Amino acid sequence: MFDWLTQSWLWLTQNWLHIVVPLLVFLATYVVGLWVRRIAYRAFNRWAATDKWEGSQLIIQTTRTPFIHWFLILGAIIAIHVSNLNASAEALADKVLASLFVFSLIWVVVSLSTKILKLYIGKVKRLQPSEALLVNIVRITIAVVGALILLDVWGAPTTPIILLLAAVILIAALAFRDVLANLFSGFQLAQGEQIKVGDFIKLESGESGYVTDVTWRNTQIRGLDGNLVLVPNSRLLQSTVINYGRPLRKATKPFRFYTHLHLKELTGLKASNLTELVKVLKEVPDPVIYYHTHNFLEEHHYLTPEPANDFALWVSDELGDEVLGEKLASIDTFDFPTIGALRARIEGVIRDYLSKKPDGRTAHEGREFHFIKSISFILPTPYIAHDLREFVEVLRQVSLNSLSYHIFEARLRLKKGVNDFSIWIEDCLGDKDLADRLAYLDPYNYTLESLRSTIIQLIEKRIK
Amino acid sequence: MQDKIYLQSRSRLQDYEPIVGRSCLEELRVLAGELSGKIIQIINSTFVGGGVAEILEHMVPLLNQLGVDARWDVINGSEEFFEVTKRFHNALHGKKEKISPEDFALFSEVSERNLEEMRFYGDYFFIHDPQPVALIAKKKEIGRKWLWRCHIDVSSPDKKVWKFLRDFVADYDAAVFSAPNFAQKLPIRQFLITPSIDPLSDKNKELDSGTIDAVLKKYGLTSDKPMIVQISRFDRLKDPLGVIEAFEMVRKSIDCQLVLAGGTAADDPESGEVLEEVRRRAEGNPDIHVFLVPPESDIEINALQRAATIIIQKSLKEGFGLTISEALWKAKPVVASAVGGIPLQIKNKLTGLLCYTVEGAAYALKQLLSNPEYANWLGQNGKEHVKQNFLITGHLKDYLLMFLALDQPSDVVYL
Repeated sequence: MFDWLTQSWLWLTQNWLHIVVPLLVFLATYVVGLWVRRIAYRAFNRWAATDKWEGSQLIIQTTRTPFIHWFLILGAIIAIHVSNLNASAEALADKVLASLFVFSLIWVVVSLSTKILKLYIGKVKRLQPSEALLVNIVRITIAVVGALILLDVWGAPTTPIILLLAAVILIAALAFRDVLANLFSGFQLAQGEQIKVGDFIKLESGESGYVTDVTWRNTQIRGLDGNLVLVPNSRLLQSTVINYGRPLRKATKPFRFYTHLHLKELTGLKASNLTELVKVLKEVPDPVIYYHTHNFLEEHHYLTPEPANDFALWVSDELGDEVLGEKLASIDTFDFPTIGALRARIEGVIRDYLSKKPDGRTAHEGREFHFIKSISFILPTPYIAHDLREFVEVLRQVSLNSLSYHIFEARLRLKKGVNDFSIWIEDCLGDKDLADRLAYLDPYNYTLESLRSTIIQLIEKRIK
Repeated sequence: MQDKIYLQSRSRLQDYEPIVGRSCLEELRVLAGELSGKIIQIINSTFVGGGVAEILEHMVPLLNQLGVDARWDVINGSEEFFEVTKRFHNALHGKKEKISPEDFALFSEVSERNLEEMRFYGDYFFIHDPQPVALIAKKKEIGRKWLWRCHIDVSSPDKKVWKFLRDFVADYDAAVFSAPNFAQKLPIRQFLITPSIDPLSDKNKELDSGTIDAVLKKYGLTSDKPMIVQISRFDRLKDPLGVIEAFEMVRKSIDCQLVLAGGTAADDPESGEVLEEVRRRAEGNPDIHVFLVPPESDIEINALQRAATIIIQKSLKEGFGLTISEALWKAKPVVASAVGGIPLQIKNKLTGLLCYTVEGAAYALKQLLSNPEYANWLGQNGKEHVKQNFLITGHLKDYLLMFLALDQPSDVVYL
């Protein structure tokens, strides 16, 4: 024990300079490091204060502590090189210190990239599903690069590993090419800020609705029928999209589109001549009059101009009385707010005609006028509109039955006196001018398709 | 009892979307939902042959796809029974037929047997045509809703036969007819529902020119001259002899050919006799082609209709006349008699030409052969008319509404 102490003392007195000098060099580097950090971070802080980039503060916070670690590692390397360690010990120490530096650097890069990534992901609303995945991808990538550097530092062969990794990355990229395409498209969408949550968009493929979410793979659109449509981000970027922007003023109550379907019920009543026609006409219930004044319009709506009511057609075709046929055809259904008034007019025209001219021909057997009643089934559609833009888009999609229900049946058969669209626009949107324009539009002058187009044009003009 | 056949639809409901639109299918689903949990038992006289079986063959699987539990059964009957019901059929069409008390007795006897043998399990019983009409006797025992569907032109029926059948019909909850003038004085509700065609069936789907040419070749026909075609069962009420007469009038001034093609139905024992008459009448005229087409030849019928220049349907009586809708769906100009349900399909000079006589038919044929542009305009209008009103989807809608209407006395029903 005494010998060992004596020998150590002897060695120290002979080599004290080889110990003190590296120690001093190490301490000096550490002091320089502290000084450099102070100067550098003052400058960084000034730059960060003027720069609006949120990431600059992250850089400062993340690198401040490791910065001094790197000077410590630098000091250790210089100290080892000024010491009298043998070459192999020196090389080993270099490798250890280089590895420490690589570890520290990787930690900084991982930490910094994670923080910056989260900063940007936060800008894309609800990208949560991608956050963990993306952060992990970045961490793994940096860790792999760091491991390769470490292997290189320790002299291990890295080329086969790099080739293997390249192959894995290529296969993964091919396998997840759609995912990647959507992912990058999602970032493009977020960066461009052309499509945002709440916007009303319409794709060239026909889908339309409000953007409810933009995820890393899809953009969610809530259609006007309430269905959610998921559009892959890459498809959204590739297709032509009309972005109507934010919703228009909301109605106090939404407009629910209904439709009607008719079942024909035979009354068993028929007429062979004008006298019988006018007699039965007086007795039949309202749905019979509604049927015979609207049936041809609904069944032959593709023909232009619209054919007249059934009474006019029968009188012309089966009784061969073109004059009375024309008089009946020229009765403008739009002039009458109720079926009762319309019936009285038809009856009046025939009675007036009969008072001047005796009843003429009788229809051939089998060609009599058969009175038919229309039973109307009214059912809701999934379509609801909260504002005029939604209303127009729904109007493009609903069936012609729905259109005829709100325009013809609501006004006359359900005794509202005016069409449903005008009522909603006036009562729930307060737009009396537009409501009046629609109310004064004579729907009997159009085919149903052209009526739809005309209403859409009127509303679109108003929206613009 | 005939063996029950289990139908597998060749078309899926969504296949109709490109033709009728999404909203039409959405409406059907809403209506079908209202019938959820109910069984509709459909009963007629045959699974094969004739317009009724043809409609049901497509209709029942589509109802099932909509979620409606519709099941199809047929009554059993001897050859004698079907001979009697064929005479009933003719008599209801207004034709003079000798029907003896024994015939009525046979009808009642077979109906009694069916009442004993059949299983009645529906919530709604949908009975088609006169053959199974007497099954209504079961209503007293089991109740539920009973509908009688009449596919026949009963605008001027033989009084004796109608009186016999009327007693049965009056016990139903409602009757359904194909044309307004078929309505009768009955104490029950009467609905007007037109039959329909299936645009995706072999008989109506699009065909390529190769298929059409192959069919023409098979029947030894050429397309080098205009072709007038009547597709109908060989039945006197379809007036095939009148068609030949009209054709001969046209042929005097216009070089053209006539094709009379049709099949027979299991419940029509008379058609073989009529076919022989037609063949004898056409003998010696190389421009008249008469073909007996077996029931499974829908593609061939389709090809003949598509190859036609004009399609004629010169029926003396007609239930609805689905061959008209088939022809119009192929955008063909049509000349047809103004009988039965034909005027519902042909609005004169808008979707085709109506006629009343042989001379009128000949005149209309000449008009169309001489004015192809006018003929084409009529054909296009006709196709649109069928699309709007006589496709199977519209027919499904009417049937669903009809079942719902049975429980709804109001004229406006909110679903």
